[in-house]
Amino acid sequence: MAFYAYKDYTEDQEVLEAMNQVMAGNLGLHWFNANTEKIKGHASDPSRGLTYDDLNIGSYGYTNLPEHLRTSQSMVARGSDKSGKLPDMGYVVNRKSDVWSDNVSELYEETKARRWAPATDIPWAALGEKPVNDTLEVACAQLYTFLQECELVSLDFPSRWVALVNQDFIEQKSFMCGQMLDASRLLEVFRKRTLYGGAGMKRANVNAEQGLKEWLWAETYPQGSLSINLALGGMLLAIFRHVAAFAPSVTDRAIMRKAMQDSGRWVSYGTGCLSYHLEHQPGQRVALHEYLDESEHVMLGIIGSAEFLEPLIIISGGGLEKDQVKAGRVAVSKLIKLMMREYFERLDYAGLGGRTERSRLPHVIERIQVV
Amino acid sequence: MAYLATHDYLEDKNFVDKWLYTMRTGEMDLSWMNAKTEKIAPRPQNARRGLTYRDLDVGSYGFTDVPEKVRENRSYAPRGAEIPEGVPDAQPWVSRKSELWAFNTESYYEEAVSRQWNATTDIPWDRLEGVEMPEATGKALSQLMTFLTEVEMIATDTPAMWLPRLNPDFIEVKAFIASQAMDEARHAEVFRKRALTTGWGLMAASPMNEMALKHLRDADSFSEMSVALHLVAEGNVLTMFRFSEFLSPTDVDKKIFRLVMQDEARHVGYGMQHFKYVLEHFPEKREVLHAHLDEAENISFAGAAATEVTESFIILAGGGMKKENIDEGIKITTQFNLKQMYEHFERLEKCGMPERKDPNRSKLYNMFLMGKAAAEAQGIKI
Repeated sequence: MAFYAYKDYTEDQEVLEAMNQVMAGNLGLHWFNANTEKIKGHASDPSRGLTYDDLNIGSYGYTNLPEHLRTSQSMVARGSDKSGKLPDMGYVVNRKSDVWSDNVSELYEETKARRWAPATDIPWAALGEKPVNDTLEVACAQLYTFLQECELVSLDFPSRWVALVNQDFIEQKSFMCGQMLDASRLLEVFRKRTLYGGAGMKRANVNAEQGLKEWLWAETYPQGSLSINLALGGMLLAIFRHVAAFAPSVTDRAIMRKAMQDSGRWVSYGTGCLSYHLEHQPGQRVALHEYLDESEHVMLGIIGSAEFLEPLIIISGGGLEKDQVKAGRVAVSKLIKLMMREYFERLDYAGLGGRTERSRLPHVIERIQVV
Repeated sequence: MAYLATHDYLEDKNFVDKWLYTMRTGEMDLSWMNAKTEKIAPRPQNARRGLTYRDLDVGSYGFTDVPEKVRENRSYAPRGAEIPEGVPDAQPWVSRKSELWAFNTESYYEEAVSRQWNATTDIPWDRLEGVEMPEATGKALSQLMTFLTEVEMIATDTPAMWLPRLNPDFIEVKAFIASQAMDEARHAEVFRKRALTTGWGLMAASPMNEMALKHLRDADSFSEMSVALHLVAEGNVLTMFRFSEFLSPTDVDKKIFRLVMQDEARHVGYGMQHFKYVLEHFPEKREVLHAHLDEAENISFAGAAATEVTESFIILAGGGMKKENIDEGIKITTQFNLKQMYEHFERLEKCGMPERKDPNRSKLYNMFLMGKAAAEAQGIKI
């Protein structure tokens, strides 16, 4: 696997001579007249700072990126003068419509602007001063254990792909790096919350993990993005919103608010990416329908797993008493239906309509009854 | 590449029926409530710092007790959770602690999260309005920024591609690597933005550096990647940032270099601590790392020999292209090159590899000694 530079520079006479010439004051200056566009970027709105959008100009911009990147396989910054022998980095995602979303540059800017720190931005002491009761705490510990599994997979997804995505998609790659930090921060805050409450970690979720691995290991980036950014991101967004509403403590509510703002970006990108993909590669509509026919079962694997469903019912109802469990089931039933509706609406919005008729999911979801 | 879950849950009648039954009746399994895990209640040791990963370093949840070889967890289960039969294998390549661990990793990560800055708003871009640099220094600055953008891209891809290969039990390292990827993306962004605000645009790519930098990414093991990236390359870049701050033609540039330096120092800190850890805990790896350093030092030398970078550095250091500027620039650049090499060997020595300070062992050290002697003969000292 290791790559060796094509020469030993310390012993190459040509290199040593070139270096000696420069250090003797004989500058070659081949770069001085680089054949590149001369621009001077400005912030269009100084209160927002200098954004990537402000630099979307001419050969440096992303608007003019071609659909197929055939001549840039190295790490050259987009718009630079390319000459000489450049390495091939082995990118396999070279079509703009495989990764692009029209909002990706803005989402990256938002990632940076909305940074937060789990160590200090969550009111941990509030939970210490006013702990939740034992039953709820154990349920929280199980739910947060499950959420950590989701975030580990979410962390691995952009990491698996970023080095395979062509360097010319710098704004999108930067967004993926932001996703890594988002997922790592959510993994951190969920772990801290689990352990702070005193109930310890609970049980790993076999069904959820099996399904999540299927999504994570999707064959293509558009498939993986659809599963992780849009489907999983959308499910998590709905769960975070739900738990924020039923949060047993101010600490949990604060965590969920932060999680919502981060996961909202994932869903937004995932929807935009799918939309762009289908707009420019309409032929992929059939392939993605088939992919979803096969992989949507993962959603049921997650929401149907006892390690997810049961603690959520307890948290939503406020405990294990019969009335509480019933209230919890009613709330969770609404959540699941809302989650599915939002999922199909997003697909429809992105151009993958007709899933409600085609998908196997609605037939199962409509069988939910709460006695 | 695709993985298929062990069940198609929509076709699994027992699974669907059980789920619908729970929803309908409220009868729950609840066996997860009795998961056999440790009960702890960690609290912040220092309220001002909040609840840190170090505060969670307790018992089976802590990083201190993670064994040298992680055999029990290869799934996506968080460290310390009960792991039932049937969880999938996450296919980690690195499950040996000494292959990736570094003393203080958790603190490097906490610092990274708390010191995130924003290249859009934390740089006073508006102060560049009306600033017109002379062609020589303007182009030289743009050329330096073009090169740094290339460097930062490889520094983004390299740690990121290793992240999913690390066993999930090493969450603190995975978290640190994620924060590093974000740091590097921000660096690529700030250097690109600066190049595109000079009025000269981006300049020429650096083929020799790119060939050399590819070596960083395609290492055989995480430790080898780390020594090449965190210790050698980022160590060199850290020295370059320090000199670049000194040479900066505007306050805006000084601010940029100050901010990137704080991130880069963290990455080098992790690299040094990991190198020390691997040498102490996996002594058999020493010769492998020596061999990798031979190549990493070769590419380090290539960096100094890439004329588009060296020349632009000379012009910036001297403040122009007149003879007296160039002479002064060469003097400073010589100091910089020697300082870079000197600091590299100092770091290796501090980490427990003093034997590379031997011209028979390291070609780069030999070049350093020759360069130092030549510089001293001209009255240049580091």
